[in-house]
Amino acid sequence: MSRVDPVVEQAVDTLGLNRVTRRRLLGGVGLTSASLAASALLAACTNNDDNKSSDAAATGSGDFPATPKWKFVFVNHVTTNPFFTPTQYGAQDACALLNCEFQWTGSKDSIVAEMVNATNTAISAKADGIALAVVDKDAFNEPVNKALAAGIPVVSYNADGAKDDPGTNRLGYIGQGLYDSGFQLGQRAIASGLDSGEVVGFIATPGALNIQPRIDGASDAIKQSGKSLKFTPVGTNADVTKGLSIIDAYAQGHPNLAGMLAVDAGSTQSVGQVVQKYSMRDKGLKVAGGFDLVPETLNAIKGGSLDYTIDQQPYLQGFLPVLYLYMYKLSGGLVFPSETNTGLLFVTKDNVDPYLQTKTRFEGSSTEQQVVQRSGAIAG
Amino acid sequence: MSSTSGGPGGEALRVEHVAKRFGGVTALADVNLRLDRGEVLGLIGDNGAGKSTLIKILCGFHQPDAGRIFVGGEEVVLKSVDHARTLGVDTVYQDLALVNELSVYHNMFLNRELVRWPLLSNRRMRRLARQHLEDMGVNIPSVEDEVAKLSGGQRQAIAVARSVYSDARILLLDEPLAAMGAKEGALILDLVRDLKARGDVSVIIIAHNYGQILEVCDRINLLQHGTITFDKPTSQTSVQELTDLVVAEYRAARTAKLRPDPSSNARPAPGR
Amino acid sequence: MSDTVDVAARVEPAPAGRPSRGLPRRVGEAFLRRREASVLVVAVALGIYFASASPAFLTQPNLVNIAQATAPAAIIAAGMVLVLVSGEIDLSVAAVFALAPFNMHYLTDYYGVPILLAIVMALAISALIGFINGFITVFFRVPSFVTTLGTAYIVIGIVLTTSHAYPAPIPEAATETIRKVFGASDYAHLIWCLLIVAFFHVLLTRTRWGLHTIAVGGNPLGATEAGIRAGRIKIGNFMMVATLGGFAGILDAFRISTIDPNLGGGFGIMFTAVSAAVIGGTSLAGGSGTVIGAFLGALVLAELQDGMNLIGISANPYFLILGVAIVVSMIANVYLSRLRRAGRT
Repeated sequence: MSRVDPVVEQAVDTLGLNRVTRRRLLGGVGLTSASLAASALLAACTNNDDNKSSDAAATGSGDFPATPKWKFVFVNHVTTNPFFTPTQYGAQDACALLNCEFQWTGSKDSIVAEMVNATNTAISAKADGIALAVVDKDAFNEPVNKALAAGIPVVSYNADGAKDDPGTNRLGYIGQGLYDSGFQLGQRAIASGLDSGEVVGFIATPGALNIQPRIDGASDAIKQSGKSLKFTPVGTNADVTKGLSIIDAYAQGHPNLAGMLAVDAGSTQSVGQVVQKYSMRDKGLKVAGGFDLVPETLNAIKGGSLDYTIDQQPYLQGFLPVLYLYMYKLSGGLVFPSETNTGLLFVTKDNVDPYLQTKTRFEGSSTEQQVVQRSGAIAG
Repeated sequence: MSSTSGGPGGEALRVEHVAKRFGGVTALADVNLRLDRGEVLGLIGDNGAGKSTLIKILCGFHQPDAGRIFVGGEEVVLKSVDHARTLGVDTVYQDLALVNELSVYHNMFLNRELVRWPLLSNRRMRRLARQHLEDMGVNIPSVEDEVAKLSGGQRQAIAVARSVYSDARILLLDEPLAAMGAKEGALILDLVRDLKARGDVSVIIIAHNYGQILEVCDRINLLQHGTITFDKPTSQTSVQELTDLVVAEYRAARTAKLRPDPSSNARPAPGR
Repeated sequence: MSDTVDVAARVEPAPAGRPSRGLPRRVGEAFLRRREASVLVVAVALGIYFASASPAFLTQPNLVNIAQATAPAAIIAAGMVLVLVSGEIDLSVAAVFALAPFNMHYLTDYYGVPILLAIVMALAISALIGFINGFITVFFRVPSFVTTLGTAYIVIGIVLTTSHAYPAPIPEAATETIRKVFGASDYAHLIWCLLIVAFFHVLLTRTRWGLHTIAVGGNPLGATEAGIRAGRIKIGNFMMVATLGGFAGILDAFRISTIDPNLGGGFGIMFTAVSAAVIGGTSLAGGSGTVIGAFLGALVLAELQDGMNLIGISANPYFLILGVAIVVSMIANVYLSRLRRAGRT
């Protein structure tokens, strides 16, 4: 490929790549370059939104017909929490693909009343779709009904009411199976050689419906294993530094712990730090595991203090709702949002390296659009 | 010690052997004081001599540790400021007990407001306040103004008018001339003269400007060492004499210090 | 300094027969004279701005949203104004806001108390907390900032331990009517809010209690020397604001059909209420305040929150813009107040 078509070059420019990647792309061969070039073209075509929507017979994104710039409202419970940064990137990227826009709102401190207010405002503003983190099993029932009655499709993401009780009539849930992930957390602990002793499970905000089911799942998994294990759930704190002190104190008071589990990002990170501080691996601690991929946690896995953590792919929790809501609007409801488990990937010492080495939009650690290369076989 | 009550020229207020201590400090040792009806008595003494304490006892704010109080010739125990007020004894304090953010008429009626329950009868209070101030010869532009906007003299006048209006017959003025220029001070003195002319109000004034109080007072008392050490009609004394009396202690102590004579019996005054 | 003879400039109505020359001007001046004028101007200006920025702003459903966002803060602010005017502050009201619906739930679901009685008892417990706040502040002379900070944490702790930080459902015993009256219906919040604001406005401006509150805040020593029982006034005001906090909490719980233990740090609604009072013209130093102004202040904050959501501002820039908007509103407020005061003298 010695000569590059100027249109392609222009399209590539819109990606904002760094010089090396750009050169590699333009100079490269094969599937990667071609597909990336194609999506860049897509993006280039759909970026001139104002011009596009005024062309009546013009095409929309990809092969889709022209659609108005639909606006989707994401209502979140911890709007400024860095865990959801990749979620916002995902929504952003999906919107760029499909010529939509999204608003990120809700409550900063998990105040349900504020989330209800934000949902109601979205309804008044005649949003084209709502994605809602259903962290309470009663409060959102009415707002969701109001939205549906007004013809606004609603999906839930990241949290979906209580176990067995979604609490709303949302069209679909995109996120991790909360109970299941907790169950698997516990199962993996057993599989890693936990057979007797004390196990502690840390949870930042007991009762919060986006994490309580996890600890319930873990507790059940351990109970059902039949082994002589004693599981104790302990509440830490939404504030990570306070949680660290609590976990530290617990570890000091229970020197013979066989297992330490955590069900949220902050507690997981703190468990890793505490395990390392007291060299608990040398003292009979068989298993330590948790959730999410904050840098501290990843380092702890690499260093061996933590055995595994679970990736719930927050990027997809932003990307997919936009896709589903768009499809619902486009097809007049014929294409329905589906229950989607955004995945449950265990990150262990064996596969932690790419996470540690790259900074990507998908993990929220970079705003750059990029292709992340990988090689080798894919672990099961 | 006559104890005629009522009648012109009778006794309005008397205290005998009043004492007051605060912790280890003796503010008043043995005070004997008399105020006749229609009289204006000037109470002087150096700072810290206990004048304010005495006033507070006279109006019911403090309870004396010893001594007896007679109002209109009858012995009383002043249980509280409100109680003293019902007996006709009222004080106008140095800090004036005026609320800056409230209007003149609300201040006039403070804690004595007229209500048609549960609401205040503002219109009635305004009317009565205006009337009363006129009667007393106090010139206030508008009774609705916030007190904060008035001059020092006007505020003082309102405080005094308030007391008189609530049927105070024994008025205790705690340094009414403090922080006031000559013109404002004259306003107050005129007011006191008018009160004297009415004949039914008796006044005790605490002040430091001896020239001014000699103008209006009938008699002067000096409070020193926790007791009244000087009691003379105004006509028989002068500014110079009063000044000398008050600073006599200080001068004596000073000269004693300068003299190496150990037999000097100068002692620091209590309550200084 | 006397504009004494300019009777026409006073708020009293002109006697009949006087020509209406300059009447609009006089009414305008009389209006601007009031402390609440500046915050009203800001509220209206914001309303106009958002209405022009988003067609959905003035629709009925959105106005209901604004009313429901204004009400809790306005209800609490009505009582907070009295506390602030008397020279104190109550930091614990947000914790009481969270505790009251839980108390209602415990009483009804664990002790079988009929729902209406449970609501009254929950309010009584709120009043008790207010009494404790007042008592400690008055008799132990602890600055109210410290006292109420302490009770705030105590009550937060009570909420979290008794609820295990779990949200609780609205008691089954609450019938449809009760739910509607106490917050679930569209207009319940607004009606309660207006009633409470009217009541407290009259209390502050037209009763002995209000007058004495102002005296106690403006000149505590002087008020006491005039015979006013400052302690009683303060304790009474603390009890009232705590009761209002509990009531607002119950209203909000019925509105969102859940009892949320998440306090968002434990001070959220309190800050909103105090901000509403201050934006509305109540002085933090005591001695002067306005309940109507506090209501308008709460309205301003609700307009900002709702309007910005409507025009699509996302969470992160939202805080930036909210802060700027508050500062700009306050500057406008202070500037207008200065104009007003300059006009007076």
